[in-house]
Amino acid sequence: METIDISYLLLGVFYAILVIPILISLKLGLKNIRNIVISVVRMTVQLGLVGLYLEVIFRLNKWWLNLIWILVMLLAASGTVVRNAGLKARYFLPVSIAGLTIGIFGTGVILLGVVVRPQPPWDAAYVIPIMGMLLGNCMRGNILALERFYSSVTKREREYVTYLSMGASFREATAPFLREAMTPALAPTLSTMATLGIVSLPGMMTGQILGGSPPMIAIKYQIAIMIAIFTAIVVSIVVTLLLSMRIAFNKYRTLKKSIIWK
Amino acid sequence: MFSIGFRSSMVIQFDSVYVALDSKDILSNISFSVLEGGKVALVGKSGAGKSSILYVLLGLLIPTAGEVKFNGTKVDFRSIDSLRSSVSYIGQEPVLGDAETVRDALMLPFCFKENKHLRPDEAAMKETLSLLDLPADIMDSSVSDISGGEKQRVALCRGLLQKKRIFLLDEVTSALDKESSRAVMKLLSQKQYTFLSVSHHDEWIAGCDTVIELSNGEISSIKTGAENGNN
Repeated sequence: METIDISYLLLGVFYAILVIPILISLKLGLKNIRNIVISVVRMTVQLGLVGLYLEVIFRLNKWWLNLIWILVMLLAASGTVVRNAGLKARYFLPVSIAGLTIGIFGTGVILLGVVVRPQPPWDAAYVIPIMGMLLGNCMRGNILALERFYSSVTKREREYVTYLSMGASFREATAPFLREAMTPALAPTLSTMATLGIVSLPGMMTGQILGGSPPMIAIKYQIAIMIAIFTAIVVSIVVTLLLSMRIAFNKYRTLKKSIIWK
Repeated sequence: MFSIGFRSSMVIQFDSVYVALDSKDILSNISFSVLEGGKVALVGKSGAGKSSILYVLLGLLIPTAGEVKFNGTKVDFRSIDSLRSSVSYIGQEPVLGDAETVRDALMLPFCFKENKHLRPDEAAMKETLSLLDLPADIMDSSVSDISGGEKQRVALCRGLLQKKRIFLLDEVTSALDKESSRAVMKLLSQKQYTFLSVSHHDEWIAGCDTVIELSNGEISSIKTGAENGNN
């Protein structure tokens, strides 16, 4: 089964449907019209460029080109993590890169190399979308976890130091804040997993079915990718937080506030 | 240099301490010392620097000039652990962690590896609670059901169970009724206890042997003993 192509003309006409949310936003005085326009334009330009680029990458299908593309995505995602968490890039970008790299390569290599086993192993049609999905999910988890962890320790510094004065080690005193940061970061993926198939048909599965795959194959991919996403999120958050704590706390084991917040 | 307390052993010593935040001095030329058994109140308007003195001791603020000593040892990143483990800090909002019951809250320090071997038994917990006029059956109460004053007394009990002798109290009297405040003062007035407290309550301040008044980050006066109307 071939995927039905969408004509550029009809896709262009479909943009007109955005009049509905724009009118509702205007009526409610949401003051987000500029944001809506910018977001839609950015989406169009970015996806257009990526589409052209992916066409080239898929056609050439070279391992080094795929790797470069993944690294570009990784850098962009790391920058977004640090920026959206409100932290200073100078100090936190390297740890964010490390956390995402270990998270997505650790699980991605196992998923692709052991479970999916494409031929060649670096086949762009498998490697790029799978790594992209892992990265996108890890990015969201890391933003939430970093923001929550550092804002909690900043706001409740006296609580943290009270634990230290009770005899807690650094690891023990930061543990409640780590737990608090991890829980909301993992919650969306956990609730997605719990409702998959009932409430929503996930994007990857929908895409494969639209692309002509039998539903059972699409489901196996979806299960594998959800397991990989969850593992990658946990690993990347833990690595990012533990590494960041090495630079964010001073020798007195209190927060170096001046280097944290933008 | 003002020395405050009953005995000769110096517990806390500030010597010309300055602390700056965002290139503005929040503490300037702070010099005083507290001897073992000293009962000290830090008073002054909001923003005068009272709590900042406690934060310096906890290592939350680091002096830009001057020296702080604890039990004769300069306070720095090498000695901060020993200071922290010797004092019990209790703030306006006592830390009860994610404890569900008062018993859990009392046991919090004993969950940490360093203190596991010091776990108090039921009798010790009951006895300590009674020292602060808390009934034994409060141990099974949910921490969300007890009052602010009771929470502060539970936090104090926890320090006592850890055999702490030095207390840093930040506005603990704000949530205590008069009777509870008197019970706390009566207990901490015993000579083995040393405390440095931030307070606005006249009765508490009158119970201290020394009152240090701060204004705009500087010490404006120190009253000791008879000058403070007691001892």
